[in-house]
Amino acid sequence: MNDLHGIIFAYQQSPDLRELVQFRNSCSVPFGGRYRVIDFSLSNLVNAGVTDVGIIVHTSYQSLLDHVGSGKDWDLSRKHGGLRILPPFGFAGKHPNSQYRGRMDALSGVYSYLQTIRQDYVLLTTGDLAANLPIDDAFEQHLKSGADITAICVPETGADPRLTTYMAVDENNHVTDISVHPSSPKGKASLETYILSKALLMNLVDKCSAHDVYSFSQGVLLPGLTDGLDIRVFDFQGWATRVLKVGGYFHCSMELLEPKVRSDLFRMDRPIKTKDQSNPSTYYGPDAKSVNSLISDGCHIEGTVINSILARGVRVEKGAVVENCILLQRSTIQEGATLRYAIADKNVRVCPGRTLMGHGTYPLVISKDEIV
Amino acid sequence: MLLAGGQGSRLKALTSSVAKPAVPFGGKYRIIDFPLSNCVNSGIDTVGVLTQYKPLELHSYIGSGQPWDLDVMDGGVHILPPYVREDEKGTWYKGTANAIYQNLSFLEQYDPEYVLILSGDHIYKQDYSKMLDRHKEMNAACTISVMEVPIEEAPRFGIMNVDETDNIYEFEEKPKKPKSNLASMGIYIFTWSKLRDYLIADEKDEKSANDFGKNIIPAMLAAGETMTAYRFKGYWKDVGTIDSLWDANMDLLDPAKSGFDLYDPDWTIYARSAIRPPQYAGEKASIKHSITTSGDEIDGKVENSVLFHSVTVEEGATVRYSILMPGAVVKKGAVVEYAIVAERATIGEKAHVGGKKTKSEDWGIAVVAQDLTVGDGATVSPNAMVTKNVKKGAKA
Repeated sequence: MNDLHGIIFAYQQSPDLRELVQFRNSCSVPFGGRYRVIDFSLSNLVNAGVTDVGIIVHTSYQSLLDHVGSGKDWDLSRKHGGLRILPPFGFAGKHPNSQYRGRMDALSGVYSYLQTIRQDYVLLTTGDLAANLPIDDAFEQHLKSGADITAICVPETGADPRLTTYMAVDENNHVTDISVHPSSPKGKASLETYILSKALLMNLVDKCSAHDVYSFSQGVLLPGLTDGLDIRVFDFQGWATRVLKVGGYFHCSMELLEPKVRSDLFRMDRPIKTKDQSNPSTYYGPDAKSVNSLISDGCHIEGTVINSILARGVRVEKGAVVENCILLQRSTIQEGATLRYAIADKNVRVCPGRTLMGHGTYPLVISKDEIV
Repeated sequence: MLLAGGQGSRLKALTSSVAKPAVPFGGKYRIIDFPLSNCVNSGIDTVGVLTQYKPLELHSYIGSGQPWDLDVMDGGVHILPPYVREDEKGTWYKGTANAIYQNLSFLEQYDPEYVLILSGDHIYKQDYSKMLDRHKEMNAACTISVMEVPIEEAPRFGIMNVDETDNIYEFEEKPKKPKSNLASMGIYIFTWSKLRDYLIADEKDEKSANDFGKNIIPAMLAAGETMTAYRFKGYWKDVGTIDSLWDANMDLLDPAKSGFDLYDPDWTIYARSAIRPPQYAGEKASIKHSITTSGDEIDGKVENSVLFHSVTVEEGATVRYSILMPGAVVKKGAVVEYAIVAERATIGEKAHVGGKKTKSEDWGIAVVAQDLTVGDGATVSPNAMVTKNVKKGAKA
């Protein structure tokens, strides 16, 4: 056990994810074939030796609960500590029918949980982040540097639509300015993953709660720059994305087809764990063709699959053509159907001979359980 | 009680470091997953796994029994190796019956009504609860699962001769002139109180081989116990040899023909899976009539083959009618056909392993044992059993 506690914000339900968040929140959107986005945060924490993790949820978290369960697939089903799912028990009473307005709202919503944290340091991260982060390295830097808050960032990404908060830094990686959704981004892009001490966190939550300040970036980080908070950046060099919009989701999913991105995200020394589903292997029929595709277990492929990502248990029947698509769990593309630039959600069935096409900039999304 | 101590010597190099039940099978499994999953799917929640030969990998594979939902507070999976007893006269398991005898105190802890004896060598799906129903209905002391085999093959099996109600009146081990074609599958249900008495008596007999087939079953028949046969219909395969292991893997590619389907959602076979990302089919990949799984990176040609996890088939390589076990690597331009490549073995560039099926007596499945390297341009002939690295350009 190390001295770091993990808190994952998993209450977001980004409307720009359209049909994908109709029945789930942003953090349980399937990603990379066999994963849900939250698998990355959970695995990152576990791989760094973190044993206690809280997941803050608000609404539409049934799918997330179903996925993480007791946390045993991440070795987080423990007698002491382990995984805690945190619904808005301290918030819903005070603010009925209201969503968390920001991360400080969410933290004060689970205040009594924060008091029970056994560790001296806390890592705050977001459940919609897909990256393989060396959290132990970031923690070490945090302890050595003496910073109040360490923000994990990717360097100079320019106008990356997948990330929203940018930090300008001086030569010592001290943060000098912070901008959210800037029109011309400058500095390093934040992966919304922060390390700070439990004492500072409690202090900030108390202060924000008293002043009804709900935003972490605008309510804590920005004023912190003038109030003397020492905020520093930990540079992460690898591949990272957040799942915020359908277009970005589609685009960065397709990046997984590049070997370099895959070897960065699915490192042997820091494996990404997910819920075990006991699927058999994938079967390819005598006329199957699959090229440049990422394919999960339990699929049955008799047709053609090109530049696509298939989740577990997908069926592509004879003569069907799937090109530049993301097919989620147990979706079926029947004989002779053609699908291009589409995202078929769980259990979707595309009947024989149908043709559906979106575009790279606007992929078609077929809602969960629908029959076309 | 699952007998998993078998050495599986006819699998040669494949069992040089693991017991036969731990041999990988069917892309995601090991042989023991089949009887274990059958138990769980049949509603059996207390399983003893008797191990003896090279048990380390098997022990860590079974672990807490979590993949099979056998990590429960009451019952669950228990690993039972031989141990030194109070008289300090512990011995290895002498035979199948002795193995159970040595664990009498384990069984007494649970004091079951019935005991199911299984072996960890067979690939099949069976609902043992139906067999138990018959055992109860016939009020039998012992029920033996049997299957019909072609009469010409009957001399290879233990054959049950039964009356019109399928009660067994005679058992013949590998008879030259079989009277029936009902072969024992090595799956027994005993009424525990009866079995206990026979095990104790058998142990006292110094001449006994302490074997179910050779001693316990004949003794019970001779004493006039009610012995009944349970007819099993469906796929069942003893994977005790290289050929039968290869055959059974190939059967998975054609479930309609072989009658063995792993995709049945009502009878899932569970396994401890590797934590690997989805498989990647590359730009030059061609995968046909094959099964592949997580962590595979395929850029070559794969036909009629079974690939386990984390296998690499590079561009321009060809894999036909072969089994590639976890972590195997087939480099550029290599050809692997009618072969079994064991865990983490590497086939070098332009090497050739195995050969097309011929009627010649010399033809057979080529095997490359685990962690070996077949050098660039080397040749491994059909039927070869490679247990040492093969140098660049050499022949084996």
